[in-house]
Amino acid sequence: MHPNDAAITDYIDGALDVRERAEIDRHLESCAACRRLVEDFREIKGVAASLELREPPVRSWTRLERAIKLEERPAAARRSPAWAEPRTLAWLAAAAMIVLATAVGLKFMPTGARRAAPAVENTGAQPAAEAGAANTASANVVSANAAAQSVAAELQQAEDHYEKAIKGLEQIANAEQDVFDPKTAATLQKNLAVIDQAISESRAALRAEPASEPAQESLLESFKAKMALLQDTVALINEMRKGNDAGAARIVSGLKQKGD
Amino acid sequence: MTVTAEAADADIVARSQAGDADAFEVLYRRHAARIYTLACRMAGSADDGEDLLQEIFLQVHRKLGSFKGDAALGTWVYRLALNHCLDYVRSRRAKMNKLTETLDTDTSFEPHAPRETPIARMDLERAIERLPEGCREAFVLHDVEGFDHKEVAGLLDIAEGTSKSQVFKARAKLRGWLKK
Repeated sequence: MHPNDAAITDYIDGALDVRERAEIDRHLESCAACRRLVEDFREIKGVAASLELREPPVRSWTRLERAIKLEERPAAARRSPAWAEPRTLAWLAAAAMIVLATAVGLKFMPTGARRAAPAVENTGAQPAAEAGAANTASANVVSANAAAQSVAAELQQAEDHYEKAIKGLEQIANAEQDVFDPKTAATLQKNLAVIDQAISESRAALRAEPASEPAQESLLESFKAKMALLQDTVALINEMRKGNDAGAARIVSGLKQKGD
Repeated sequence: MTVTAEAADADIVARSQAGDADAFEVLYRRHAARIYTLACRMAGSADDGEDLLQEIFLQVHRKLGSFKGDAALGTWVYRLALNHCLDYVRSRRAKMNKLTETLDTDTSFEPHAPRETPIARMDLERAIERLPEGCREAFVLHDVEGFDHKEVAGLLDIAEGTSKSQVFKARAKLRGWLKK
């Protein structure tokens, strides 16, 4: 009869007494399946004990530093917002204009629909019969370069639009940020830090490989995420200024879900 | 703990408490990898591990005043991190109500033909993330972190026999994935 799970576990972990251990030793001498099981489990245990440490992402310290600073803000800076105070909603109108202008300005689509000409592999010496194909390949290279330049120019244009819109939204969010309680402010800062990190990483990837579609898409997705977050922020300011607790709570709940 | 290490810990704690951001950064950089690794493995994902890392070090920052120097600063940070990870695991388990499911599933195995290639650490690291909740935490605490079954049982609030069966199940699953 095979030893049960607990006995095998204790055997591997060295938790059996001499008699129990001898019993299992005897069984293993005649049972190849259990012998292999014990050998594999020992190997797993050995490798598990020698696993290396994992370095946290670089952004982790920046995120933590921001969160600590938010916690350390003096009480005066964390006072409750004067929701009832009558204020002009001109900021919000301005924000809406920026969002609309951006939506109209964005046309860049770094997807398969505008893929560059197929890449040409360097296959070394080619048979004479393929000389024509080589000429076509050469033309394809020129075409690919032109397409890559065009994509880069359009990417830059889209990036400019996003940055302009983000700057406008940031100005509003920064000017009005005193309406937030520390927890909400921390959630916003945490989300912004994550997105900013994604933007930096995408830019770095694009510098290394300008034609990389995943990097282009990642950069634009990060810009979109930042836009969406700032739009939520402005919407939240609006609801808080209006004194609409339910509307504000809905937006805060959405922000937390994105941040979680 | 040596007098020098003790003095270094006390210095870093005092400076951090006095608002010296550089001192707290030193503390973070000294211990972040160990805590991040523990958090990723206990949570089963790098994303959750990163969030846990932030929450843990925020707690460290808040609670530095309660560090009395009875143990090394690293041990104190590790205990705080482990407790935080366990709270997270318990809360997620309560939400997902998966404990019964993971405890009751069949743990039998079919012997595989022995594979000559040794298990690569990276493969094992990835495979641990795939382990079901319940057996993953027991495996990480026992085989990776080095707690015995009695300690694992206490930490996870389960019976010692359950800890053994969960570790057996985790090893059997890992074997199925890595030794096929």
